[in-house]
Amino acid sequence: MKKTILEMNAITKFIFDEHGQPLRGTTVKILEDVHFDVKEAEVHVLVGENGAGKSTLMKIIGGIIPADEGEMLLDGEVITFAGPRESLAHGIGFIHQELNLCLNLDVAQNIFLGRERQKKLFIDKASMYTEAREMLLRLGFDIDPKTMVRDLSTAQQQIVEIVKVLSYDCRIIIMDEPTASLTKSEIDKLFAIIHDLRRNGISIIYISHRFEELKEIGDRITVLRDGRYIGTVDIEDFDYDKIISMMVGRKLGAMFQSSHQVQDEVVLEVKGLRISRNTEPINLYVRSGEVVGLSGLVGAGRTELGKSIFGSRTYYGGEILYMGEEIGGLHPSNLIEKGVIYLSEDRKLEGLVLDMSLKDNMTMASLKRMYPKTKIDFKREEVVAQESIDKLNIVANSVEQICNTLSGGNQQKVVVAKWLLTNPKLLILDEPTRGIDVNAKSEIYKIIDQLASQGVAILMISSELPEIIGMSDRIYVMKRGAIAAELTDKREFIQEKILSHTL
Amino acid sequence: MSTTQLLFSEKVRRFVKRNGSVVIFLILAIIASIFVKNFFALNNFLTIIKQAAIPIIACLGITLVLMTGGIDLSLGYTLGLCSITVGLLVKGVGLPIWLSIFITLLVGLLVGFINGILVQVVKVPAFIVTLGTGYIIFGIAQIVSSGSDINRLPANFRAIGVTNIFGLNTTVLISLIICVVMYYLLHHSTFGRSLSAFGFNAKAARMSGIKTERLNISVYMICSFLVAIAAILLTIRVNCAQPTMGGGVYTFEVITGAIIGGASLFGGIGTVIGSVFGVLTIKVLENCINLLNVSYYTYQAFQGIVILLAIIFENVKNRRL
Repeated sequence: MKKTILEMNAITKFIFDEHGQPLRGTTVKILEDVHFDVKEAEVHVLVGENGAGKSTLMKIIGGIIPADEGEMLLDGEVITFAGPRESLAHGIGFIHQELNLCLNLDVAQNIFLGRERQKKLFIDKASMYTEAREMLLRLGFDIDPKTMVRDLSTAQQQIVEIVKVLSYDCRIIIMDEPTASLTKSEIDKLFAIIHDLRRNGISIIYISHRFEELKEIGDRITVLRDGRYIGTVDIEDFDYDKIISMMVGRKLGAMFQSSHQVQDEVVLEVKGLRISRNTEPINLYVRSGEVVGLSGLVGAGRTELGKSIFGSRTYYGGEILYMGEEIGGLHPSNLIEKGVIYLSEDRKLEGLVLDMSLKDNMTMASLKRMYPKTKIDFKREEVVAQESIDKLNIVANSVEQICNTLSGGNQQKVVVAKWLLTNPKLLILDEPTRGIDVNAKSEIYKIIDQLASQGVAILMISSELPEIIGMSDRIYVMKRGAIAAELTDKREFIQEKILSHTL
Repeated sequence: MSTTQLLFSEKVRRFVKRNGSVVIFLILAIIASIFVKNFFALNNFLTIIKQAAIPIIACLGITLVLMTGGIDLSLGYTLGLCSITVGLLVKGVGLPIWLSIFITLLVGLLVGFINGILVQVVKVPAFIVTLGTGYIIFGIAQIVSSGSDINRLPANFRAIGVTNIFGLNTTVLISLIICVVMYYLLHHSTFGRSLSAFGFNAKAARMSGIKTERLNISVYMICSFLVAIAAILLTIRVNCAQPTMGGGVYTFEVITGAIIGGASLFGGIGTVIGSVFGVLTIKVLENCINLLNVSYYTYQAFQGIVILLAIIFENVKNRRL
């Protein structure tokens, strides 16, 4: 029986501000009563959907934010970290999902940041470069320590980050989706490192979405869902369906419904549009009452296509026809008036004004239509917002609640409410269910289906294949900025088949 | 829960949250009433209001600009340019008064248009744009006036600002009307709402169909337009058109008023009531220093202290309330 070195009990964390403090008046819990422990020399995998609270839990262990309730024990003693440095001093290293490197420094400078090797008064560059080179080579990576981090690929930067944390002699290393940007051979090397570390008695907390990895390196798997602890299983008991159902909380199939009927009228037609100078032209169409899925890997150009249609990006030639009329290059305000909307994948940056209230956000895209004389009717606004809250089951104290105190799912519903108020005829949805809980997801699917039955044309960009398969009447697959395939037969809507077109 | 059902304490909390400068003003006024001789007198209050009337007009202009997350450092120099413009036209050229005023207001709009275009289209930070245009405007004002003032302006021109209607000075009246118009614009029209959204998150605002490009330019134009009005009234008040009127000190006084009034330098936040009381706070301070017969330098130090206190208050308030 291995010794437990880190234990977390009944951890609760409210939605927090940039200082890690709970937002005023919020009741939204990102983590609720979560249990987690790490044993000596094990790889403990943490899984859960987007928004399940994995990263938040790791931030607490890493000392980046404090827990609001609950206790953390290191070697059986209660401990709190005032900051990431303290956590590191206790032997906990954190390899972040977002890279935390200084782009304007070179590799060695980044590795030794804050503990530069010194020769009397001066920085001892020579020994830093040699040491950095040795560290990289020991792990099997041939990166020149004098290279500026800015000039490295994302994968190489990830490796530098890993090397940096490894160089700290940690007992516990947190890896937050380390393989997301790595290639197959780099992943193999990383796994070799992980096996090595474990052999040397080091524990690893490993966050990942890739199940095939888990069996290869994991010892135990803990599942979080909607900020709650669901359970921990040993790798010997690993069962794909069981883990999925733990993560999702119910079977997937019931989430999708289809009551809409595709009509003949073509609402959107894109002809020969190039999203950049050297990509192939894109041709696609969406009919009234049709849900068209747009699949592809991250970076395949799906968002770029959506934004090109919505006048938020320059594109290179081609026609965008809406009900037969050219709409290319129009300002979003004109498009919204015509009934074209684009729901951004980035809710916080492009979807919502987080500092404003629910009602302000909901009516934002309809100001001109609701108040043609520019005078705001506050009573009417409140009624309209309240109706949306009721209709979409938004959990909020009042229509005046500020959006940044809402949970991700409710925020997304506010964005949806905003667009519904514009009476759209063409919806471009970019990752409409990213980072929201399962219930909110199924409600959004229901709304999409309802809209389609009312004759709205829907182009849905999504990285989640079950969603694409469950919702779409037709699927386009994008690859390298162009359409790689069009699937019209529902019998062809199989994950492996779609994936094969994306690669 | 609808707004009409709110508890009284909740209403107070919201009022303080939205109008911190009113609280600061009241605290300062109470302290002054107790400790400063001759402060608590109707005549003194009228003096304060008269002194605040003109800066309030300019302050409302800069409030709009601050709400976009921008700034207008050329404000004080625009004031000088508009002052000398109206003086030259009325006395030097001898144009009809209405035409002189019309042209002066156009000059204000033009300055704002140039600032706005540079900020929006050329995408240079407002701080740098207006720092540059400020110097240019100052230079132009000096050139057209050959560096000299124009005093003893025609009486019928001065009448615009110094007549009393219903016992109120026309300058104060004009300022009041502008406050009302701006209050409607900022808090009851889609313009104000869009401005707030744009200031908080320009990308999301644009993608929600707000014409942010037009909005951004118009804000600088409104600001300079209001500054032109302030310039005309100030010129009348001192009975002298000066190319050096305003300047950097004036710019900062007006920005200070807006900041005490709760406007955020990062955009999104700004209120008419806040800015009005922000300016009033400064003027009360100035008034006390005068009454106490302290030196101007002491006043400046005090002003600094009040600004810092106001900003600390603002921060604490935003966290706690």
